Amino acid sequence: MPADAILGVEGLIKRYEGLLALSGVTFSVARGEIFGVIGPNGAGKTTLFSCLVGSVQPNSGIVRFRGERIERLPNHAIVARGLVRTHQIVRPFRDMTVRENVSVGAHFGRARLRGAEAGRRVGEILEKTGLVRKAEVLAGTLTIGELKRLEIARALATGPEVLCLDEVMGGLNPSEIVDAMKLIRSIRESGVTVLMIEHHVHAVVGVSDRILVLNFGLKIAEGKPMEVVRHPEVISAYLGEEAV
Amino acid sequence: MKTRGVFAAAALVLLLAAPRFLERGTLNDIWNVAFAVILASAWNLLGGFAGQVSIGYSAFIGIGAYTTVLLSLAGWHPYATLPVSAFLSAAFSVIVGLPTFRLRGPYFTIATIGVSEAVRVVAAGVAFTGGSSGLRMPAGSFDFQRDYSAMVVLAVLVVALAAWIQASPFGQALRAIRQDIDAAEAVGVHSTKYKVLVHALSAALVALAGSLFAINFQYISPNSVFDFRLSLSIVLMPIVGGLGTVAGPVLGALLFGYLQIKLLSSPALRDSYLFLYGGMLIAVMLFEPRGLLGLYRRVRGRITRSFSRPVPDAG
Amino acid sequence: MNEIITVLVNSLLAAGLYATMSYGLAVIYGVMRIINLAHAGILMLGAYATLTLNSRLGMDPFLSLVVVIPVFFGFGVLLYLTMIRRLPRSSGGPSIESLLLLFGVWLVLQNLAYAIWTGDTQSILTRYTMKSVVLLGVRVGIPTVAVFSVSALSLVVLQLVLRRTYLGRAIRAVTQNRDAAMIAGVNADRISAAAFGIGTAFAASAGSMLATMYAFTPDFGRSFLLKSFCIIVLAGMESVAGVAAGAFVLALLENFVGGYTTLPTSFQDALSFTLLVLALVAFPQGLVGAFSRATQRWRRLGRA
Repeated sequence: MPADAILGVEGLIKRYEGLLALSGVTFSVARGEIFGVIGPNGAGKTTLFSCLVGSVQPNSGIVRFRGERIERLPNHAIVARGLVRTHQIVRPFRDMTVRENVSVGAHFGRARLRGAEAGRRVGEILEKTGLVRKAEVLAGTLTIGELKRLEIARALATGPEVLCLDEVMGGLNPSEIVDAMKLIRSIRESGVTVLMIEHHVHAVVGVSDRILVLNFGLKIAEGKPMEVVRHPEVISAYLGEEAV
Repeated sequence: MKTRGVFAAAALVLLLAAPRFLERGTLNDIWNVAFAVILASAWNLLGGFAGQVSIGYSAFIGIGAYTTVLLSLAGWHPYATLPVSAFLSAAFSVIVGLPTFRLRGPYFTIATIGVSEAVRVVAAGVAFTGGSSGLRMPAGSFDFQRDYSAMVVLAVLVVALAAWIQASPFGQALRAIRQDIDAAEAVGVHSTKYKVLVHALSAALVALAGSLFAINFQYISPNSVFDFRLSLSIVLMPIVGGLGTVAGPVLGALLFGYLQIKLLSSPALRDSYLFLYGGMLIAVMLFEPRGLLGLYRRVRGRITRSFSRPVPDAG
Repeated sequence: MNEIITVLVNSLLAAGLYATMSYGLAVIYGVMRIINLAHAGILMLGAYATLTLNSRLGMDPFLSLVVVIPVFFGFGVLLYLTMIRRLPRSSGGPSIESLLLLFGVWLVLQNLAYAIWTGDTQSILTRYTMKSVVLLGVRVGIPTVAVFSVSALSLVVLQLVLRRTYLGRAIRAVTQNRDAAMIAGVNADRISAAAFGIGTAFAASAGSMLATMYAFTPDFGRSFLLKSFCIIVLAGMESVAGVAAGAFVLALLENFVGGYTTLPTSFQDALSFTLLVLALVAFPQGLVGAFSRATQRWRRLGRA
């Protein structure tokens, strides 16, 4: 794993009832990068994120975060170390307000803020994610675009060093996608390393420094966005999917 | 928050002064309601705030009551046994909680039915519980005035504690666990730790109530502390009143305290308490899962809306 | 050697009944993802129904099934239509609301039994209650053998219904994937009503048969409810054969503990509770995990 890598994954394997969701994936992410993960449906992208943050235990393989092995730690312990993910299918605390949702992250993430300090941090994040006007509204009443931003806000409030975004642009309209890309860049500028899964290749090519392509649980390409999308295996994986 | 503190202090003073101007029968009723408030509010910490519905709480009443009686018989002052009751009950809750909290929602509930059955069977079978003939407190340990004061103070403290927890980050973690345990973990909430903690806290409080119950009744047996109606009402009071709120369990305790008095005075009603309890449970689940408090809020909301509805613009 | 045969024969005979009562719980869970806490109350009510038919009309307890099964099927459908259907459907596992609702139903059923039959202990005596036969060198009561035979027969009929009829195929389809079944044109609401009826009828018929072997009160059924849970958790719930195997495992453990240790009888009952908790903890995903494993196993068998 390179010296400047903040996250390193080696030979990660995850089996579900005989189905191989990840079959030996290896890559590393440098500090301050925006690192895209793409691949057709069922390629193992979400499983990869689940294994990284410990909500699912990999069958074998190594995950190193800031030099420490974390692949056997539970989810909350990994969040406490500064690696956090959002959910593709949003999971807000529906009976809490937007502000309360975000403050759970501030109270229990890596930052473990309390009192006025937590309040200030939550205020900043609501501002940054454009949720200020909705702060006192119950999360169950938000639109899908707002819910996606709430997922990001809640994860950001934990004070992560690496943020894994799972399809935060899915279901958004074109102008919302532009805003989301701006938001992701500004998160990186604040010093947070970003991993992002996107189903739509265009968005991820526009914003990523490097891209990893998965197909059937295998890495088929890794590198600069423009090189990766011209890779023959990547083209056939996507065309193959469209042909079905 | 401040006005609520003043209100709680005033209620406490009034309740403590009550023996000067109320008769014994009424004080007994207040004692019963205070006992119910403690059970309901303490159960609600786990069942309401954290959403882990346990049907095995009579075990904690039993641990409290038996610890107090057995230590008193060994020469302890009855009130000196309270910390031991609380501690033993909390310790038992951790032993039960560590394996069962790996289960989610209804599966946890079923496991608690199994645990409570096992406890009941064991309690009836082991020698130190006195078997079906029960145990009696040592002579001279009875003082209604003192037990009344202790029960009332504990009740007010438990409600205050519930209010404080609800407003704290700890309470927020519990609510997050209730709503979506995976999402809570994903933002760093150590769900098992908080579930075990709140289980221990509520078990300790319930054991304290069990100790005071034993001191007041002077006689306990597996049948009295593991009474089905008692273990049923622990669960029903917060549900009927309003799960996961501070006021709901108190409301439920008042209702059940009143019902208890009516049940004791009318044999016809006593024979149909299961109809009553079961019927209430069905009605709450079908029509207002947020209980009486939810019903109140809904009705109030509807009335406010109907008054503040904007007048249609004529132009 | 002789003792081993005794344990095996007794376990096998007990397993038939256990499987019948567990299947009542399994079919409801499978189709609706609801844990029927009223199961114990229905077992108890089945026992009382048989008692009344026996004492008033002189009907043989086993013949009474002809009345009990259709009546309780109707009762289950009624419960579904008036209550269960009104609950919001939870997407994931079973909801705590459905659990508590059915807990309330259980309490009401108990009170109903107290009101009609009082709290006195009841039992059913027939000409053959005290008679016994020798099977493989083991002396067993006639009621036990009869209960096993009827249970086995009902499970075979059930298996045929599930395999051969539209209703059976629809139940299996909804159990495996409700959404896909609905897309394929299955009326999930009607299948749910039927499943609730079948589950209730199975529970009640198990209760009727239990009444020929045990004395009962309105509190009857609680330990059998826990046994049913235990079996389902052990066995998964997709296949009738799986439930039967789980029932045999539990019966074997109970008979083994009863035959080879000197634990008091009340502690033997605690065995299934302990086993239940252990089994639940061993499958941290609860029944769902066990369920999906069972599904996978079944699919693989289907392909082979």
